[in-house]
Formats: sequence, structure tokens, C-alpha cells
Amino acid sequence: MDKRAARSLSLITGRFISGLMMVLAVSACTSRSSWHLEQVTGHLPELNFSLTSDTGQAVTAETYDGHVLLMYFGFTHCEAECPVSMARLARITQLLGSDAQQVRVLFVTLDPERDTPQVLHRYVTQFDPVHAVGLTGSKEDIEALTKQYRAAYRPRSKISESRDIMHSDAIYIFDSRGQARLLATSADSDENLEQDLRRLLASADGIRQ
Amino acid sequence: MDWLYWFKPWEASILVAGATAVAAILFLKGSARSKPSFQQKSYFWAGLVSVYLVSHTQFDYYSEHQFFIHRLQHLVLHHLGPFLIVLSRPSATLLGGMPPRIRRVFRLMAGWRPVQYLIRALCNPIVAVTLFCGLIGFWLLPAIHFTAMIDWRLYRLMNWSMFVNGLIFWGLVLHPGPILSVRLSPGSRIVMMLAVAPPQIVMGAMIFFASQELYPIYTICGRAIGGLSALADQQIGGIILWIHGAMMSAIGVLIVVRNELMPRKHVRQEQSS
Repeated sequence: MDKRAARSLSLITGRFISGLMMVLAVSACTSRSSWHLEQVTGHLPELNFSLTSDTGQAVTAETYDGHVLLMYFGFTHCEAECPVSMARLARITQLLGSDAQQVRVLFVTLDPERDTPQVLHRYVTQFDPVHAVGLTGSKEDIEALTKQYRAAYRPRSKISESRDIMHSDAIYIFDSRGQARLLATSADSDENLEQDLRRLLASADGIRQ
Repeated sequence: MDWLYWFKPWEASILVAGATAVAAILFLKGSARSKPSFQQKSYFWAGLVSVYLVSHTQFDYYSEHQFFIHRLQHLVLHHLGPFLIVLSRPSATLLGGMPPRIRRVFRLMAGWRPVQYLIRALCNPIVAVTLFCGLIGFWLLPAIHFTAMIDWRLYRLMNWSMFVNGLIFWGLVLHPGPILSVRLSPGSRIVMMLAVAPPQIVMGAMIFFASQELYPIYTICGRAIGGLSALADQQIGGIILWIHGAMMSAIGVLIVVRNELMPRKHVRQEQSS
């Protein structure tokens, strides 16, 4: 009797696990087919920071309420990924045309010691003077923000002065209410990014009406 | 004081800190009473400390951002840590360290029907083997792995599930005495350990031989170690699962053979120590 009970229990657990795996696999597939970029809705926390903008103003996530945000972690001395990504983001805001009014690109520096608001201002306006905003702040605030979004980042002083800053190459996309929605990388095409952003902008309008 | 920085939790968890502290205090208090052997003590502390170090220090940052270090973390959480803790046979010492009232509650709970059913189900050899391998495979499904690495709640659930499952499995196969009323012969326990090796070898080989990146999350969020390509990282991770994961089974089998199936001389020595 006990053996039978144990066997049926093992069958039930087996079925439960396989069922759960199926559900998760199916949900992963459907979410992939509808968006081009990786969907992260509900998995990453709401945008929350208090930093200084490139114009020297204290800003928080609420400052950009109503905008679709593209957040990128980098630093102005970065030679490889950052300029490429910033140029790409500028290209995308161009592609979006008038819709880009509702979009802001947040370039969060990982090197706050060297990247003062003035340096950041000069840097971001080179790429996109209208939609790009440079953000800096204390080391702790920036580290907390990267940690919140699971972006790889080791501050220079902790490892060695000579090494480059390790950082993530992800573009974190938030909807107009500050909810993390999508993750893009350099592997995603400009068109895919543009299409998903248009879709996000359209749904954001729908919410507001 | 730079080295102290490495022991600072990357993401502080009250649950990890609390559980480790409670286990440590219970073991210390219980040791005064039941006087475990030096060997038992060293196994217990090595297991507990290694689990704590990989989950509640700066090591955790590297596990989040490098696939092969994530595999190393799970090797400790699922294999090495629970293995060592179980080898120390800590249950009598831990129970002895509990205040009498809590010990009574603990015993009452163990006698409770639903708990007994649950334990009996988990101790079923087929369920235990399936859960042990299924859990490794489940968290390594690319879509699931992506979500688990991005969502801190799932990440913690993943690590806890691995550790608890490790304790259950190794507790079942390395422990000669009955667990509540379940008693398995040394032979069936050896078969269980041998049964979990091939799935780990297959999964490790599948990851090792994959020609494309299976876990893009590490590229998206950035890798902790520069200069190592995505595929190289993945291959090292695959090798760790393939060889080191399966190797623990071999060690477990040797321990059971030595302690229980070798001529009596050894058994008597064990008991007297």
C-alpha cells in the first residue's frame, strides 16, 4: 500500500515537473515571437534612482515619467562598445522620427570620478543633443543601480587601477511608467529595436488615453 | 583591509545569513554535549563554510556574471557542500544543540503524517534520482536560465533549491541508518549514485559540444572576466558539470563501499571513532 502510494506520488511529481517545464517553455516561446528583443517584464525591478544629470540637475526616475527610456551603462573613456552603442542609439532615435519625442536615452557613467556633468554633457551631445542624457552620481548609487539590473560592473579601484572597467553591453528598455520591459544588445538589429520601441510607444499611448 | 572586501556579501540575504548562523550555533552547542569526532567536525565546518562562501560573498558576483563560475557555485551548493555536511552525520549534534522545547516541536513535526508522506515520497529512489538530475536540467534550460539569472527572486530560489535537494539526495545515499522509517540497502544507494552520473555527463557534454551560445544572458549583462569568449566560458562550464559533477558519485560510491561493504574491521573502526 505504502509502496503504491509512494509510486503514485512519484508519478504525480514527475507529471507536475514535466507539466511545469512545458508551460514555461511554451510561455518562453510565445513571448519571443511577439517581441524581437528579450522580454523582461516583471523580472527586473521598476526604475528607481537619484543621480545628477549632465546639466548638473538632481534627477530621479520620476523626472522622466511618461518617456520610454533606454538605459545604458558606460563611461566616456571607453573606446570599444560605448561609442558604438551610443551612435546606434542616436541612429534609432532618428529612425523613430517624431515618435522619439517620447524617448530618452540615459547614459549612466560607471566612472563618476572622471565623468563630471560637464564631461558627460560634451560626450552625449556629440551623439544626440536632444534625446540623450548623461547621468552621474556617487559610486555607491551607481553600483546599486547596476546591481539592481544585474549589469556586470566592477569599480576600477576594487580590482586594479590599470585595468579597464568591466561592464555590460545591454540596453535596458523601460516603458513610460518606469517598468523594465525589454533587453537589447549589440546583437539585435536596429530595425528590431525600432519596431519594438514603436510598439512600446503605441501601447504607452494606449494606457494614457 | 582589502581582503575583507571579498567576504562582504554581494547581495545580502537574511535567509542565508540566518540559516548559516542557526546551523553554526546549533552545531557548536550540540558539540559540547554529543562530542562529535574531529573528522565529523571538520567535515561539517568545511561543508557549511564552503556553501556560505560561494553564496554570500563577492564570489556571488562572479557566479552571476560568468557561466563557468556559476557552475562552480552549483557544484559546491548541490554536490560538495551537502556531501560534506552529510558525511559529518550532524543530525544528532544539531538536535542536541536545540533548546528542549524546539527539539520537541521538531520531533512532533517529524511524526506528523503529511510530513512523513512527504519524506517517504522524497526518499523514494526513483523520485530522488529524478529530482536530483531534473533540477540540474531544469535550471539549465536556456529560457529558464535566462529568467533565473535576471530575476533575483528566482536566482535565490534556484540556489536554495539546489542546496536543499543536495542535502536530501546525499543524505539519502550516504547515510547508512534509516531516515525516519525509510531504510535503503547499500546496493540500492550505490545504484542511485551511479544513476545520477550519466544524465550529468550527457548534459555537460551537450553544453560542451554546443556550437552556439546557449546562455546569452552572460553576454547581455556582461561577463565578469574579460578576455574569455562566450563559447570558452560555456565549454568550461560544461566540463565542470560533465566531469566534476559525475565525479562526486564515484567518491560517494567509494565511501559507501568502504564504510558498509568492506570487511567488518573497518566498520568496527568507524563505530569506535
